Amino acid sequence: MIDFSLSPQQQIVREVAHQIAQTVLRPGSLQWDQQHRIPDEVLLQLSMLRGGFTQGEVPEEVGGEGEGVGAVPDRRHRSQANRIAVLGAEELAWGDASVLLSLPGPGLGGPPVRSMGTPEQRRRFFSVFQQPGLHYGAYALTEPGAGSDVAGIQTRCRKQGRYYLLSGRKCYITNGARADWVVVFATVDPALGRAGHRAFVVERGTPGFSVGKIERKMGLRASETAELIFEEARVPEENLLGGEEYYRGKEGFVGAMQTFDSTRPMVAAVGLGIARAAWEAARDFVRDHYLLSRPLPRYAQLAAQLAQDRRLLDAARLLCWRAAWMADEGLPNSKEASMAKAYAARVALRICAHAVDILGAHGLQTSQLVEKWYRDIKVFDIFEGTGQIQRIVISRRILREPPSF
Amino acid sequence: MHKAMISFALDDDQRLLQDTVRRFCREVLREQMRRHEQQGGLLPEVEQAFAELGLIDLELDEGLPHRTAALVHEELAWGDPGAAVALWTPHLCAGALRELGTPEQQARLLARLRRGPDQRYGRGAVAYAEGGPGQGATVAVPTRGGYVLSGTKRFVLHAPQAELTIVFAQLDGGCQGMGAFAIAGRPAADPQGSFRLGQRHELLGLRAAPAGELVLQEHLVPEEDRLRGGDDFCAAARRVFARAQLLTAARQVGLARAAYELALSYTQDRRAFGKPVAHFQAVAFALAEVHMEVESARWLLWQAAAEADAGRLDLALCAGAAAHACEAAFCAADWCVQLLGGAGFMEDFPAEKWLREAKALALVGGTPQLYEQIVAAQVLGQDPEGNPEGAGLPSPRLQPFLT
Ligand SMILES: Cc1cc2nc3c(=O)[nH]c(=O)nc-3n(C[C@H](O)[C@H](O)[C@H](O)COP(=O)(O)OP(=O)(O)OC[C@H]3O[C@@H](n4cnc5c(N)ncnc54)[C@H](O)[C@@H]3O)c2cc1C
Repeated sequence: MIDFSLSPQQQIVREVAHQIAQTVLRPGSLQWDQQHRIPDEVLLQLSMLRGGFTQGEVPEEVGGEGEGVGAVPDRRHRSQANRIAVLGAEELAWGDASVLLSLPGPGLGGPPVRSMGTPEQRRRFFSVFQQPGLHYGAYALTEPGAGSDVAGIQTRCRKQGRYYLLSGRKCYITNGARADWVVVFATVDPALGRAGHRAFVVERGTPGFSVGKIERKMGLRASETAELIFEEARVPEENLLGGEEYYRGKEGFVGAMQTFDSTRPMVAAVGLGIARAAWEAARDFVRDHYLLSRPLPRYAQLAAQLAQDRRLLDAARLLCWRAAWMADEGLPNSKEASMAKAYAARVALRICAHAVDILGAHGLQTSQLVEKWYRDIKVFDIFEGTGQIQRIVISRRILREPPSF
Repeated sequence: MHKAMISFALDDDQRLLQDTVRRFCREVLREQMRRHEQQGGLLPEVEQAFAELGLIDLELDEGLPHRTAALVHEELAWGDPGAAVALWTPHLCAGALRELGTPEQQARLLARLRRGPDQRYGRGAVAYAEGGPGQGATVAVPTRGGYVLSGTKRFVLHAPQAELTIVFAQLDGGCQGMGAFAIAGRPAADPQGSFRLGQRHELLGLRAAPAGELVLQEHLVPEEDRLRGGDDFCAAARRVFARAQLLTAARQVGLARAAYELALSYTQDRRAFGKPVAHFQAVAFALAEVHMEVESARWLLWQAAAEADAGRLDLALCAGAAAHACEAAFCAADWCVQLLGGAGFMEDFPAEKWLREAKALALVGGTPQLYEQIVAAQVLGQDPEGNPEGAGLPSPRLQPFLT
């Protein structure tokens, strides 16, 4: 049945997430951005809420609440996890997106462990999140020489006894320095292309594994982005995700890509949360201000732009919901996930720019959130696949024979 | 009971209906597209075949649910936007009578739209837009037992064949002084008639659906045919136009999908520089862009329709859906012509027709500018033009064409 009302559970997630965003995230947002970090107390406080809105991140077998984002639902027991994730993500990002990216938990590392890992691996790597304190997972695919062209990664892995030795560098890794473990993609031989790819869970403290530079960025400054260095890092063979068996054919690469089907709609929803915040600020400004003694809404162009932006925001949200709904239903959704991500990024960038325009000089002051949102939003057209890469995914899926670009 | 939940799944009845209408469109409307356009009307057997689907009866009996209507009109416009308009004989009238009329008026006037002895349904028309520059608004002057209407209405779809016309005219006071009146029976062709046809319009698109001027010359409408819209005429009129927007949105989505599909298949068959033109990134990205516009327009329409079905007709959602669909349709049709190259400009392909009709549909029952104003009025809590009563209604200054 075509329906866009929220289930009671979806409703609760949205309300709780909004409450937190309003009372905890918004008030700290500017300060954390200036300090390039979020206080541990805040993150600890938020980690207590796991099981609420990030419900389902930790699988049942280790005491979590069951199905999470990236889980493959069976056809009878339909999941709501992806829909809940996009609803929660939009609300929290409305409060502060850096905090959302810094929430303790497996983060982007969760989906590959969940979809590629053996039951034993899932138990082992997820159990850390049941322990007190701040615990993180991370996902390391990007390298200095390979971002969009994922197949071109150069980080090498070589088997030696019961270990793999990893050599290379990963860059721009979210939560990379603070992570308990990182899912690292490496290749047995770059000449093999995708077939040579392997995914490892590399734990903190692994000999030969170190953290390089922590990036300073245009936006999302309170979120940690790190360089990771592997110098013959000794990774136990049990940490090869899925075990040797998994890598017959080109599964390794497929594994890396599948992750995106559930994370892209979520990342899109994060961008929308920021955009909605900016749109609301612009709307309030227009509603409450006068120019030359005329109320701003009388300026038809301003009013029309607000109306257009609101409609584009709604449209982008529905593309997110659609992709999330398909994931929950167990339907293949790569194209829809990319559409959600590409469209949301485009719309969100436009809305944040309009908010700065509308607030005028107010909008450019660093004491203003819109200035921050404008800086934060740009990356949404870059990470998790750039806008161009999303359009490649979409067009390859709509054409009968995929083109070679 | 149905459980509330974000869902994009059609139920079985909807899927069956969609398949049926789709088949009719593929086998009939697509085949007769140019013929219908050239002769400025439908073939009787096509009207007949559509009547057999029973959709018009449903609309007259209880009104198609909004989601069902969204699916049906998307398909029909996919088949042929012009024929889609011409086939839908009740036009906006059934919904308008339900909102504006008393139960007695509904029963009496809806009968005009039912199937007659000749097996054809009566056509409905809505006359909103006023006559040309210099001509004043159509006025309704109260008189004993009714109202005397005078003025010229332009751009009235179905005017030449209407069996029932709902005319908006200026009264004093109230919601911008506006009132609605039902006129039963065809406008006279005779130049002396008090309710008669004026000039017939030659249209840029939608030529399968005739449109024309209606002239009212001291035409008497009895009191019993004034549509008062219950307690709040303004609110009821807003809902009538909101439904018109959903109809436009559905048609634009159908048109957009048709154009997208043609562009997608043509560019994969057409080769240049040794490969299908779709395999050039500039072309492929354009296709991806159009696909996103079409899909997002459909989901906005569905959301507005689902809310309306749940008894929460939302003016901003309806207007937003219409504005978005108009943009999507124009984008899709424009790219379709562009990606077909010279062939896109020829009448051998429907691309050029869709481009014309995307424009025409953006003028039926409202314009994207009007839709944006409605959304703005809702989100800002005031009409941008500063008229508190007018928010959400087409103002006399910003008229919907082709109603
Ligand atoms: C804040 C932040 C956090 C991040 N977090 C992570 C993380 O946790 N884990 C991780 O693995 N990575 C992460 N990344 C990296 C991110 O995923 C990459 O930056 C992104 O995939 C783009 O790669 P690139 O920067 O190498 O750009 P490049 O691949 O060098 O692209 C440069 C330009 O070329 C365009 N381009 C490339 N190929 C094509 C083509 N075939 N056709 C048309 N245009 C093309 C791109 O769209 C782009 O505009 C993060 C990045 C940022 C900024």
